[in-house]
Amino acid sequence: MKGPRGAPVRILVDGQPIAACQGESLAAALLAAGILRLRDSPRAGAPRGAFCFMGVCQECVVQVDGATAQACQVPVEDGMVVLLVGPHAA
Amino acid sequence: MSLDLAVIGAGPAGGSAALEAARLGLSVALVEESAAPGGQVWRAPGAGLAAGTDPDAMAGAALRAAIAAAPIERLFGARVWLIGRAEHGFRIDLVREGRAETIEARALLLATGAHERIVPFPGWTLPGVIGLAAATILLKSQRMLPGRRVVVAGCGPLLAVVAAGILKAGGQVAAVVDLDSRTGWLAALPALAARPDLLAQGAGWVARILRAGVPIFSRHTVIAAEGTDAVQHVRIAPCDADGAPMPGAAARVIEADALAIGHGLVPDTAATRLLRAEHRFDPDRGGWHAVRDAEMQSSVPGLWLAGETGGIGGAAVAELSGRMAGASVAHAAGRLDGAAYRAIAEPLRARLAKASRAGAAMARKMRAREAMVAAIAPDTVVCRCEDVTRAEIEAAIADGAGDVNQLKQWTRCGMGPCQGRMCGEAAAGILARHVGGREAAGLWTGRAPLRPVPMQALLGDFDYADIPIPPPAPP
Amino acid sequence: MKPFDVAVVGGGVMGCSTALFLARAGLSVVLLERGGLCREASGVNAGTLTMQMTRAALVPYALRAWEFWMDAPGWLGMDVGARVRDGLSVAFTDAEAALLEERATARRAAGAPIELIGGNRAREIEPGLSQRALLAGFCAVDGFASAYLTGRAFGLALRAAGADLREQAEVVGIDRGDGAFRLRTATGELRAAQLVLAGGVWLEPMAGWLGVHLPVRVLINQLCVTERMPPVMRTQLGIASGLLSLKQFENGTVLIGGGWQGSGTRADGRGDAFIPENLIGNMRLAAFVIPALRRARAVRAWLGLEAKTEDDLPVLGPIPGVKNAWMIGCSHSGYTSGPFMGKLLADAMLGRAPELPLFPPDRLLLKDAA
Repeated sequence: MKGPRGAPVRILVDGQPIAACQGESLAAALLAAGILRLRDSPRAGAPRGAFCFMGVCQECVVQVDGATAQACQVPVEDGMVVLLVGPHAA
Repeated sequence: MSLDLAVIGAGPAGGSAALEAARLGLSVALVEESAAPGGQVWRAPGAGLAAGTDPDAMAGAALRAAIAAAPIERLFGARVWLIGRAEHGFRIDLVREGRAETIEARALLLATGAHERIVPFPGWTLPGVIGLAAATILLKSQRMLPGRRVVVAGCGPLLAVVAAGILKAGGQVAAVVDLDSRTGWLAALPALAARPDLLAQGAGWVARILRAGVPIFSRHTVIAAEGTDAVQHVRIAPCDADGAPMPGAAARVIEADALAIGHGLVPDTAATRLLRAEHRFDPDRGGWHAVRDAEMQSSVPGLWLAGETGGIGGAAVAELSGRMAGASVAHAAGRLDGAAYRAIAEPLRARLAKASRAGAAMARKMRAREAMVAAIAPDTVVCRCEDVTRAEIEAAIADGAGDVNQLKQWTRCGMGPCQGRMCGEAAAGILARHVGGREAAGLWTGRAPLRPVPMQALLGDFDYADIPIPPPAPP
Repeated sequence: MKPFDVAVVGGGVMGCSTALFLARAGLSVVLLERGGLCREASGVNAGTLTMQMTRAALVPYALRAWEFWMDAPGWLGMDVGARVRDGLSVAFTDAEAALLEERATARRAAGAPIELIGGNRAREIEPGLSQRALLAGFCAVDGFASAYLTGRAFGLALRAAGADLREQAEVVGIDRGDGAFRLRTATGELRAAQLVLAGGVWLEPMAGWLGVHLPVRVLINQLCVTERMPPVMRTQLGIASGLLSLKQFENGTVLIGGGWQGSGTRADGRGDAFIPENLIGNMRLAAFVIPALRRARAVRAWLGLEAKTEDDLPVLGPIPGVKNAWMIGCSHSGYTSGPFMGKLLADAMLGRAPELPLFPPDRLLLKDAA
């Protein structure tokens, strides 16, 4: 799934350690880790995930180190703590 | 900070404008939301990832190097949330690294580009369904495949870019599903003849796709994406020239774990609408766009426009319009006399005219297809942020909603955090059928913030006494 | 063509309510609105339905209107998101506490069931409230509606009542003659025996058509709203001075307002520009009162024009010197009491005794120099 990449980093997603690489956006790292469902839609509760990867659609909104963030706008950092916001999250 | 010019957007248009203005002696600030210049088409690779060698990667690298070396104030990773007038020009409020900043400049140039149009279809909100532009970001910037088996669908030049890019990266393209016919590209050739580099590039993409034996379904459309937590199958069917599924035609199901789909580009006019610039509707230029004259000036004094914001035209037009705008701002500021300005502008104008023909051909291939909007099923979500379905939109129209802003009030379509960027065109298209056309449906009112803004960044540290509470309300 | 019984000019909550009650009473009513119904002040306000921000003199009107709003599905035919909530008006300093006592007392005397409670009790009612709250006015007759739904509801109700509803129909002048008013629009003329001017901020130029000078000042109110977020508050909040309105809707979005000013003029339509210091000031106040809001993202902000008369009380009554003509509106917190104000005027026009006193415009009119 991935081409030549930066140094490995470890992040926590809903308490699970996930391997990622320096230089990736959090959205890309989640995709590569097979975590596609990031939240639920507000009224229908339908699964949602990153859609535009350029900061426009707001579908990849997650909690990063306690703050609301768009995963596609956040480069991964070693030790980053990510929480998925929807009710489906563990 | 007292600047001659603030440029918002550091893609080919904004980056070129900033460089030209700085070269001509203006004090310039370049504001860009991403970490590095390049916009969408010349997007930088993520930190630590090797640079690409294709023409776009090289052009992007050259732009970034030039900007790094130029006497320009660089504000990258900066999200503009408000633009307004200041005493001697414009005030720009932005958030950078979680902190609020303000800059002021005598002139403002907006080069905020375009975003992708995707016409809603059943399952389009499933994880794993992404835009074509999103796929190019994953491939070029993140060096990552969208999935193991990808269906690439829609229309326009990005289809070939994405399919070829996936193959080049060692991925599998389950199918290319093209709204256009095989001969559709031939009709565009005369205009593209002015751009042999584009033609060669395009031919290269097509050759790679054909060599890999990827099934190409021309005059086909995606009628559904299906799966539980993410896309697992894509259902396609033959369509007519307008993209509407042919009635009674058999659907084909393709296994895939990703669907990259896009239906053209739409100018981002959030900032130009906020500033109440004049806009015009042209279906061959992405629909509503901000009006600019031959010198790249908008209808608002001191406000200049470059690139896709002023109508879809492609990267070459964007770059040239940016350089023209930079020179025009310098001329308007008195740093260039008439003769010096003409010496720069006239050759640019000639090259712009030539590039515009190829750009226009591309833009026409990406025009909104009304039949696709008509085919949106009643229970399909149109506004993703608020889960508003077509049926709810139609009910509001039946109750009398007559323009896009009234529709927004009655359905909440466009009130969510994407601020109407994902749903706006489709919702307006649905309304258009009832009010006599997209132009009659109107222009969404421009508002601030231009993007969602974290309150923490704006609030800073303060105590109660710091809050300038107005005088009490009447008793 | 027979003249209409009544022409109502202006399709905000005042004009719509008046027209609706008159139409339901069997009169032939035409309502003319130059844009869409309830798209100005009546569609962009914070939807606050509180006695604590309502002027003391208007509390009796607001109390009756509160019943209307909470029963919107009944009399209006559609849910406009009106919900009952506990209301708190909070004081953070001794000076504010004194102001709060004064204002609560006045409103209680006018009939609003407001109780003064200490900070700890206030935090029991609203756990998200700042630790710095000293004193609060508590009122259970409080709540909010979604102002942006109002236009749709009135449109449906007016048509169902048989009113002739004309949106995108700007009146450009009014003449008198043959015992009727002649209203001129871009697409033609129509005549009506009685006239109601309900133009809000634009009531001043409208009154000018009849040779009447009613000064109406224009407030440019800024509001902003967050994205949907987890519950951070359960009441509707204000502060002692009245300069904050804060609520979280069922959809999770939090709306911040209170009359902080932007810039613009009547001619600009929806207000010209934000004043960032005021937007941030309003946000700071909201985040001070409910600290959890610091983590929110603001996704929309807008400006709305509100009408202000010299004495901050509405006009509601016959236009002096012009037979069969009436005016209504320009009330502080007009949305809150709108439906009841419309009913009052309709009753007066129908020859019924109005339940509460009207607000004769005479007191505000200027005699222009000859």
